[in-house]
Formats: sequence, C-alpha cells, structure tokens
Amino acid sequence: MTMSTAPAPATTVAVQARDVVRTYGRGDAAVRALDGVTVSVPAGRFTAIMGPSGSGKSTLMHALAGLDTVDAGQILLGGTDLGRLTERQRTLLRRDRIGFVFQAFNLVPTLTARENIVLPLTLAGRRPDAEHLAHLLATLGLTDRSRHRPGELSGGQQQRVAVARALVTRPEIVFADEPTGNLDSQAAETLLGFLRQAVDELGQTIVMVTHDPHAAAYADRVVFLADGRIDGELDAPTVPAILSHMARLTAPAATGGN
Amino acid sequence: MWRLTLRTTLARRARLALTLLAVVLGVTFATGSLILTDTSGRLLDDQFRTATAGVDLTVRDAVAFDSAMGVEVTRDPLPANLPERIAAVPGVAAVRPQVRGQGLLEVDGTAVVPSGPSVLASWVPPPLGAFTVRSGRPPAADDEVVIDEDTARAHRIGLGDTVTVRATDTGRLRVVGLAGFGARGGLPNSTIALVTLPSAQRLLRLGSTVSEVAVVAAPGVAPDELRDRISVALGAGYEVTPSRDIAAAGAAAARDQLSWLQLVLLALAAAALLVGAFLIANTFSIVITQRTRELALLRAAGATGGQVLRSVLGEALLVGLAASTVGLGLGVAAATGIRNLAGAFGVPLPEGGLVLTARTVLVAFAVGVVVTVGSAVGPARRAVAVAPVAALRDAAAARTGRLRVIAGALAAAAGLAATTAVLAAGAPVPLLGVAALGAVGGLALLGPAITPILVRLVGRPLAAAGVTGRLANESAARTPRRTAATALALALGLALISFMAVLGTSVKSSVRQSYAEVITADHVVESARNEMLGGLSPMVYDRVSRLPEVAVASRLRYGHWRDGEATQALTAVDPATLPRVASLHFTAGNLAALDGGGIVLAEHVARDRGLAVGDELPMTFSRAGTRSLPVVGLLRDGDARALSTDYLISLDTFARLYSEEMDASVLIRTAEGTGRAAAERAIKAALAETPTAQLRDQAAAVAGRTQMIDQVLGLVTVLLMLAVLIALLGITNTLALSITERTAEIGLLRAVGMTRRQLRWMIRGEAVLVAALASVLGILLGVGFAAATVRALGRDAPTVLAVPAGRLLLVLAVALAAGLLAGLLPARRAARLDVLAAIGTP
Ligand SMILES: Nc1ncnc2c1ncn2[C@@H]1O[C@H](COP(=O)(O)OP(=O)(O)O)[C@@H](O)[C@H]1O
Ligand SMILES: [Mg+2]
Repeated sequence: MTMSTAPAPATTVAVQARDVVRTYGRGDAAVRALDGVTVSVPAGRFTAIMGPSGSGKSTLMHALAGLDTVDAGQILLGGTDLGRLTERQRTLLRRDRIGFVFQAFNLVPTLTARENIVLPLTLAGRRPDAEHLAHLLATLGLTDRSRHRPGELSGGQQQRVAVARALVTRPEIVFADEPTGNLDSQAAETLLGFLRQAVDELGQTIVMVTHDPHAAAYADRVVFLADGRIDGELDAPTVPAILSHMARLTAPAATGGN
Repeated sequence: MWRLTLRTTLARRARLALTLLAVVLGVTFATGSLILTDTSGRLLDDQFRTATAGVDLTVRDAVAFDSAMGVEVTRDPLPANLPERIAAVPGVAAVRPQVRGQGLLEVDGTAVVPSGPSVLASWVPPPLGAFTVRSGRPPAADDEVVIDEDTARAHRIGLGDTVTVRATDTGRLRVVGLAGFGARGGLPNSTIALVTLPSAQRLLRLGSTVSEVAVVAAPGVAPDELRDRISVALGAGYEVTPSRDIAAAGAAAARDQLSWLQLVLLALAAAALLVGAFLIANTFSIVITQRTRELALLRAAGATGGQVLRSVLGEALLVGLAASTVGLGLGVAAATGIRNLAGAFGVPLPEGGLVLTARTVLVAFAVGVVVTVGSAVGPARRAVAVAPVAALRDAAAARTGRLRVIAGALAAAAGLAATTAVLAAGAPVPLLGVAALGAVGGLALLGPAITPILVRLVGRPLAAAGVTGRLANESAARTPRRTAATALALALGLALISFMAVLGTSVKSSVRQSYAEVITADHVVESARNEMLGGLSPMVYDRVSRLPEVAVASRLRYGHWRDGEATQALTAVDPATLPRVASLHFTAGNLAALDGGGIVLAEHVARDRGLAVGDELPMTFSRAGTRSLPVVGLLRDGDARALSTDYLISLDTFARLYSEEMDASVLIRTAEGTGRAAAERAIKAALAETPTAQLRDQAAAVAGRTQMIDQVLGLVTVLLMLAVLIALLGITNTLALSITERTAEIGLLRAVGMTRRQLRWMIRGEAVLVAALASVLGILLGVGFAAATVRALGRDAPTVLAVPAGRLLLVLAVALAAGLLAGLLPARRAARLDVLAAIGTP
C-alpha cells in the first residue's frame, strides 16, 4: 500500500467554502456548528477533515456536498455556487457530480450489491459503463459478490460497495463521512487503501471526515476543525504529526478508538 | 403499567388515528344499519297501531294466512247484514262497517302514482277511524272526498277542487276535507282517498258488502271474551281478531319487505368490520415491531410477559372504546344517509325520528372493542415473545411460520373442496359461502408466504418502469405480512363488489335470454309500479282484448301460496291463448291439461320434490285452505322463469282459489296486417283510463323483472365503497408506518441523487402496487365465486355466466386510482423528510 508521496502540486480547486456559517436552533439554544469556515479542497487529492466530536466536521461536509444549505457564506463546487441552486438542482448535482460514503447505512437493503453500485446512474436513467464497472468490482474485490444483498455482506464488503457506488459516476469529488467508523482495523485499512488508490490511480478527489489519526494519515492533507472553525492544516500528515496537532487544539481532544 | 399504556397510546395518537378511523367507520356502519332498521320497525309499528287505535276487535273473512312476502292477501267481502248480527252480540258497544280498496287519484287529468298503495276507503270518524280531519269536514255526500294532507300539499289540491278516483269504477269527487294520520299528514309513499261508505261500495263495485267490521267493546267487557262471543255468534268463515294483533301482523308484513335490506346492511357492516380488523391487526403489529426495543427494555427492566400483553391489549381497548364512541355518534348520521341512499335507489324507507336502542349502543361498543382487541391479540402475543436481548440487536425479519402455511393451505383446500362439492356433486348452494370463507381464510393465512411472488408478478410493469418502480416492488415484497394484510383488506371489498356485479349481470342477462326465447308476444302491458302481484287492473285486459288491432291478448296473474312454512308464488295463465304469445316447451304433459284444474311444474321443482305427471302437490291457499293439485305437465326451467314462477295453473283454477282481481301482464299479438306503430297507438289509447298500465317492449318488460337486482346492486355497490374506503385508509396507514421505518433508506436514496419527484413516485408506486395486488386477488375471487354461484343456480334455471368486463375494468381503474390517492399523503411526507435528519436515523 502506497502511503504518502506528494504528487503533482494541486492547481485546481475542487470545492471551496468561503466564510461559511451554519447555525442550528434559535435564540439561547442556537449552536454555531460552522462559524466562518473558509477552506479549499484541491482537485485530485485526498483531503481529511479532522476534529473532536461536535466540532462541525459532518456539518461542513454536508454543506460542501450540497446536502445542506448554509446560513451565510458561499460554497463553490467547481464553478457552481451551491447557494444559488434549487433543492432539485442540488439533488441532481449530488447524483451526477458527487459520490458519498457514509459511516453506516450506505446501501439499500433490497437491492443487490451491483444494483446499489449503479443506483445513481439508474436514478439518472443512464446505463453503467460495463468496463468501468467491471474494473471497480475487480479492484474492490467484489466481483463474486455483485449479486448479493447487503444483508449477505460483511461490514467491510458493504463499505467497499459504497465506495464503488461513490466512484461509479466518475464524480468530481467523493465525500466520505467516517467511512471506517464501524469497521475493525483490518477492514478499515483495506478500505482506506482503496480510497488512496482511487486518488493515485484515477486522480479522484476525495474528502474524508474522520476523528481517527490513523485514517487521516492516509490523506495528502489534513484540515483541522475545532468549535466550527478551521484550526490549522497539515500536508503529508503522519500519525505522530496529527496527534501532536490534535493535542494543541483548544477543545478536549477525542482520539479514535482504533 | 396502566399509566404507561395510556401515555404510549396518546404519544402514538397520530399513528393510531388511522386505525381509529377504520374502527370508527366499521362501527358507524353497523350502528347506522341497526338504527335504521330499528327506526323503520318502530315507525311501521306506530303506523299500524295508529290505524287500529280506537278499535278493540275487527271482523273479517277468514283466511289461512293473512300475508305473504309482505303483501296482505285479499279477503272476500262480508255480507251486508253482518254488522247488525255483530251489534246484536251482548257486550258490543259500537260496530262500524268499513270498505277498503285501491283507488288511483287523478288531479287535472294527471294520475298521482305513489310508490306505495293508492288507498280508497270509507270514512270512519275517530276514535274508530284512524284518520282525523285537519281542515274542512268529513265526506257527507256521495260525491265528496277527503284527501290526506301530504298528497294535497304535494299536488296542490285544495278544498273545493275536484279530483278523479279510479277504482273498479271511476268517480269525480269534490274535495271537502284534508285528513291526517296520527301526528302525520298521511301514510308514507301512499295517497289516501276517504269517501262515504256507499260511495266506496259503488267505486269498488262491492254492492252492499263491506271489507271488514270494526267493533268496540262495552265498558267492562274484556275484548278477548267478546271475541269468543262474536266468534260463536258468527260461526266459522269469519275471523275476529284483536286490533293489536292486526297491527302487529301488518307491521310484521311491512317489515318483512325490508328484511332483505337489514340483512344486506348487516352483512356489509360485517364486511367493513372484517376489513377494519385486518387494518387494526396490521397497525398493531407494525407498532409493535417498531417498539421492539422499547418492549425489550421494559422486559429487561423486569416487566413480565403478562404486563407487556396487558399493555398492548390495553392500548387496543382504549382505541376500541374511543372508536366505538365516535362510531356510535356518526352512526346516527349514517342512518339518515343510508335511508336517503336507499331512497335514491328506489327502496323507500319510512321517514321519522331515529330510534337509538340500548341494544344498538351495546352492539356498537361490543363490536368496536371486540374487533379492536381481538385484532391486537396476535401482535400482542408477538410482543410478549420479544426477548430482553432484542434491545441489543436488530430485529430479524419474521418468517412465515410453517404451521401458518399448513393451516392456510388446509383452509384454501377446504374452500376448493366445498366449491367442487357444490359444482360437481350437487351439494346445496349455501355451501359456497363456506367455500368463500375458506378461501378468504386461506388467503389471509397464506398471504405472507405468497405475497413476495405475487408482488413481483403483479409489479412487473412497475419494475419495468425504472429503479423507483423496482424499489417500490421490493419494499412491498420485503414486508409480506403487512403487504398481504393491507392488500387483502382491499381485496375483500373488491371481491364483494365484483361478485355482486358478475352475479347480478349473469342473472339479468339470463332472465333476458329466457324471456326473449319464450315470450313471442308483440307487446306487453304491465303496471309501471312493478307491484309484487302485478297490480294491473282487469279493465286493461278487457279493453285491449277487444281492440281490432289485437289478434290475441293473454293475461298472466300471480298468486302466493304456502308450502309448509315457505311462501311460494304461482302464475295463472290462459291455456287457450298463451301458446300464441309464448313458446313453451313441455318435457311431460301439456298446457291444455291445465283446464282440468291441475298444475304444471318447472322441471327442477318436479325433480327436487320427486313428482311426476299424475302425482299430486298439496298447496295451502289463503282463501281456499289446503288443496291437492294434480300435476299435469312439466315445463322447461327457463320457460317457467320467463313466466316468473315455477308453478302454473289456469286462470279458471285461480278464480276458484283466490279472490285477488289483479293481472300481472297482458301479452299481446297484433292482428295480421296491423303496423307496429298503429297497434301501439291503439293500445295506448285503450290504456288512457288506467294510468299505471304501461305498454312495454321486451327490454322494458325484462327491466321491470330485473329492477330489484339493479336496486340491490346499486345500493350494495355504493355501500361497499365504504369497505373499500376503509381498506384504502389501510394503504395510507401502512405506507406511512413503513416510511417511518425506512427513514434512513430514504435519506440515503435522496443523498445519492433520488429527486423528490422520484421518491414520491416510488411511494405512490408502492401504493398502486398494493391496490393492484388487491384488485387482482379481489376480482379473481369475486368472479370465481360468482361463476361458481351461477353454475350452481343453473341447476334451477338455465343461468349463463355474463362477465361485465366494462364494469370490472371500472372497478380495477377505480381501485388503482384510489391506491394512487392513498399513496399521496405518505409520498408527500416521505418527500418532505429532511435528508440530513434521515441519514442520521440508522
Ligand atoms: N440537526 C442538528 N440540530 C441541532 N444541532 C446540531 C444538528 N446537527 C449538528 N448539531 C450540532 O452542531 C455541532 C456540530 O455537529 P457535527 O457537525 O455533527 O459535529 P461532528 O461531525 O464534528 O461530530 C454539534 O454541537 C452538534 O450538536
Ligand atoms: Mg459527525
């Protein structure tokens, strides 16, 4: 497994947030989950977003991915200002330009692995590129599992199916929210290896939310978040570097259990 | 535990609202039916009691039975000297002879034709008479008449106006008063004309005879004792009856005519409740599946199985009680609604204040609570089976128990066996009801096992339409128990509708076919009112048969007779002329033999009774008592049906046995060389004096015979829509609950790019799929059992299966559209789910 070699310097920005504010609740109970976040995700790179629990990682990811709207600031995905899109346009954008891997419940239980993988294409009324699909299945070691339903797959296999689904549309960017959160360390390593491979071999842009330094070490770059604000960045991260940065964060650090 | 039960019930009120609605509708229907029949019964009782209020005894000609099929028999008139003989009996305070008959009112040349009787009676002042003059004065001269207020108001008849009364004779009479009946302005669906006794006798051509004599006992004389005294004084041949018995008998006869309606209403209420029961069981099992964790926690915290059981059943009890209360309230409104509906379909029911009896209240609560709690027992037992460790793991999908499959297969097999027994082995037709129960029970038990296969089969077109359709299919197939119960509830309603439609159409078309085959007459004259015994004045035959345009006129009369406890009808024919207007096929004997006073039987009757030509059939007649008639011929079943009954006698025999003077049909063959239009014109002119007589072509004659089928079919179909409505609520309910369960999945689909529109279509697709499944099952079941019933009926008279394809397609279309409608709300709810919140709901 290739760990971290610095590839060609990123020239284009896949997605960026400018002064993004997202508040939950009102009045006294209001929580500023994002409090003026400005961040750029370079294309063709593997970016990790780290921070303690409750620091706003998921909120930021949802905003970047067009799953949620923001109260102030701007999200630019490629050249698209997400704030100007209607709900339907955002849905289509997610379908056609973005891939997702969630921590849990990634798959539709009634569909087979293959059907789950091609779901975004089917929703768009498009046919999958057979060669691309075969390649994905082979790379992720799912070829002989394609006819199984999620219930018949292990947790690691399920997450790999989710990765295949995220990649099948050749999206501009893939968002993964704690994709290894429910996996044992063996399965987690395998999955992270695949994500790394997708960046290296396909030039895929990936943004991964995690609070696990081991997972974050697979990324090219780590963005730290604390209390809804960007709190430093780290290029070519290693586990010790991440841990020492985390220790410096103001919020009480929560390290991964793995 | 009770507090907890109450709290959970309230917390789930939105979820239980639809369930509640299902029980409410069922209870509403049941109580509505009961209130309506109680009210009709009470009103009829009141009416007949009012009619005899001031009289102690009534003397009439003796008969063997006083009514048949809700029609009072006609009695012979009493001799003119009878009132004097009665008055001479010691203990009689007052005697009043009375004449009663039919007299059609005509105002300004237009006949007033009520749906009930046109009463012509002699005026009897109160308290002996039931009518009171409300304005003007009683009739004093023979050209004066008193009309009931209701009729006067409806037809703008005022005091001093002149009206025509058409009885056996016709008279032009001046209105001198308006009468009321008890607290009412008349009798429901009737017209009343009250004249002097001599005038009534003249109009009805009774000479000096009278219909009956009202008797009032002297003070201190017990009516029962006086009755015996009068009976002895008059001898046999006369009947002295206490007035309250007459009232009771009259009310019973009138109620008899409505008894089928009560039966139909209660059967429909049962169907509605059955559908509701499915729905309730469904909701409770879903709620319990969703509460598995909570229940497991309770168990882990030390709640016993009994406590959990009582908690769930307690919830059901609360729902049942609430639903019964609301249903009872709505039932009162429903009673009025059904009454109006029945009226709209040509089944008039007496109008008046509604009667809510303690029994109705009891039934409402018993039904509501029993159905709800009963339906919750299965789910509650499953709740008890929840292991405390279930709190820690995901509930695995329940598999259909083997026992259930075996029981289902057995029930279905029993249904099939019963059907085969009826069709192949000639077992009695009601066994088909058992077969239907077996089939429904079997389906209910097998439902979860066969649903996934059926869903994929029926859902083919949906699946072909894209991934949303596939997902809809899969979602329905994933929860087979729930889908099966939801679909079956709807299927039941649709099965009943299809069954009625196919059966009704088959019987109608068979009647039409027999009639067309047998009746060769060019024209038919019948009463526009389709009275039970025909109701055509004999004058019609007299006039029409004399027309030069008419070569042959042959009349039919109907009569009732008693066959042990059962009431039967017979047709009286003219053996000389009938063959020229009808083509009859005898398998033994012949028509001419009727002249000897015998009877012709339909083949199946002879077969069932084991009779052949030369045997005798004992029959009881109202006037003539029991006689044995020799069987002189056997007629093909279809031919007998064309003549309306399975028993034929000659008109001469009829005259000896009956005092009724009413024709049912006059069958006409026009003279050689007379054009159709000319003949019609001549016949119509001859009918000018008898406004209720109607010249009919074959289609109209058949329609007159099948009118009842249409009425019942229409009424039942509309009422069954209620059962369908309940079932649709079931679809909405099930989907809403399933969406709650699938929140995470929906969130995922939305995140990876399913648009709201696609999501809405997915949910609606599932609703339509369930409706389609129900339609396929229901229509197949309904048509299947209708086909079996038609086959079984074919034993008594040739009945061919006629499938009203258009109507069934309409049922299908309505069901699918309704399914779509049922899916609208859940679809909207699903589309509104917040994607992020949904993702966050594992
Ligand atoms: N739907 C919501 N309603 C209210 N508060 C929320 C909601 N989602 C997140 N928050 C709050 O916003 C903050 C950031 O949450 P989140 O982005 O989920 O953090 P992380 O993913 O880093 O654990 C937390 O304080 C959380 O309680
Ligand atoms: Mg998070």
